[in-house]
Amino acid sequence: MSDWKTFALPAALVLSTSAPCFANVYLTADQAQKLIFPGASGTPWAGKLTEAQKKAIEKASDLRIRKDPQIWQVSGGGWFIVDEVLGKHEYITFAVGLTAGGAVKQIEIMEYRESYGSEVRGDKWRAQFVGKTAKDPLRLDQDVKNISGATLSSRHVTEGVRRACALYDIALK
Amino acid sequence: MISRSSEVRRARPLLGTFVEIAVEGWCADSAHCAIDAAFAAVEEVQRRMSFHDPASTLSRLNREAAHRAVPVDTWTFAVLRAAARVHRVSRGIFDVTVAPHLQRLGFLPGEQAAAGRETSAASFADVDLLPERRVRFRRPDVCIDLGGIAKGFAVDRAVATLRAAGVRHGLVNAGGDLRVFGDEQAVAVRHPENAGATLHRLRLANAALATSAHYFAGRWQPEQALAAIVDPRTGQQCTQVRSATVRASSTMLADALSKVVMLQAEAALPVLNHFRADAIFVSAGGEQKSSPHWRAAF
Repeated sequence: MSDWKTFALPAALVLSTSAPCFANVYLTADQAQKLIFPGASGTPWAGKLTEAQKKAIEKASDLRIRKDPQIWQVSGGGWFIVDEVLGKHEYITFAVGLTAGGAVKQIEIMEYRESYGSEVRGDKWRAQFVGKTAKDPLRLDQDVKNISGATLSSRHVTEGVRRACALYDIALK
Repeated sequence: MISRSSEVRRARPLLGTFVEIAVEGWCADSAHCAIDAAFAAVEEVQRRMSFHDPASTLSRLNREAAHRAVPVDTWTFAVLRAAARVHRVSRGIFDVTVAPHLQRLGFLPGEQAAAGRETSAASFADVDLLPERRVRFRRPDVCIDLGGIAKGFAVDRAVATLRAAGVRHGLVNAGGDLRVFGDEQAVAVRHPENAGATLHRLRLANAALATSAHYFAGRWQPEQALAAIVDPRTGQQCTQVRSATVRASSTMLADALSKVVMLQAEAALPVLNHFRADAIFVSAGGEQKSSPHWRAAF
């Protein structure tokens, strides 16, 4: 038992910034669409969600609409929707492909951003990410993309996908 | 997407967390193709071993195995056999029949929680793994949750799929249970007291790493951060270790052994040694400990 050693990292590495962040940009909307609907093309949806529709979607999915999702109709049938969800510490942009009948075909995470130190939800919290790209040093550990830690729940994305399905039922069907 | 990239990295919400797959040194189209196949393998693991999906192999087992020997697929059987091995070597500390405890504590859905039932006396010793991949429970109150091992297995399946497709360098990370193959990659282990900070940094090549810790998991609350890890002997949540990270030959093993370190701290050493695994952990008091060969292992 006494063979265990006590270790410590240099203090600078342990707590390097006041608002530690971790972010990865995985796919652009164009890349995600081509992956979910290979060989198809997308046309931006000509419609616009009315306030009544938004209320109905929020009610059906039990999730607020903070920002209108981007919607494309896909050649050969189906819908491609880009939306975002906001958790306590994470801000995630995701793409979901729906079949012509409204079934979930595929989900891809486009951008994933985590932040600690500031727990303000909403615009102020999000402002720190605006304009950041994959190349920006917005990482937990400058050059480290791979994190081993306790499981982060994907619940918010699941809720976001449910909202996309409600959107289909109410506005696209 | 004809562009060539040194790394293609994607993520999907799977297994209740985010599964990230990265392929290096391939043209983008081939990399995406291989990644699609690897995600499909993870989805297949989810389909078979999800506690939440009533149609999964595991749910069928939990419903029927107390009444008759139930045949299961090769993957589910492989995970159960590994669970049996770790259960035996850890003298019962790792036990996938803790589902009733997790239900009682509200980490898993189910009637046992609603009934407010007391701790279950069943253990993995009441599970028989029979020839021809059949499984039988010796007691009606046995209920299995593979949440402490299947995620690691899913990572191993995804890596096997990538390698079968010819990928030589890559990484699969399922919410912190990760495996690197080919070239070395830098990995940061989260600090349990500050999820945005680094506890430890290491470079991994052809190795698996899994972390269990008291944050994010389950019903996270600032004052009372308790992970969905219970001592099968008492039904109590573990409190002496805040974060445990294990390096092992497979992600499945690393995943399972991280639970043993969470529950046993220093006393997990013989189990780690048996599986030629290493670990670091942070105690409830904030002490950071590494097993004897940790540094040499990297």
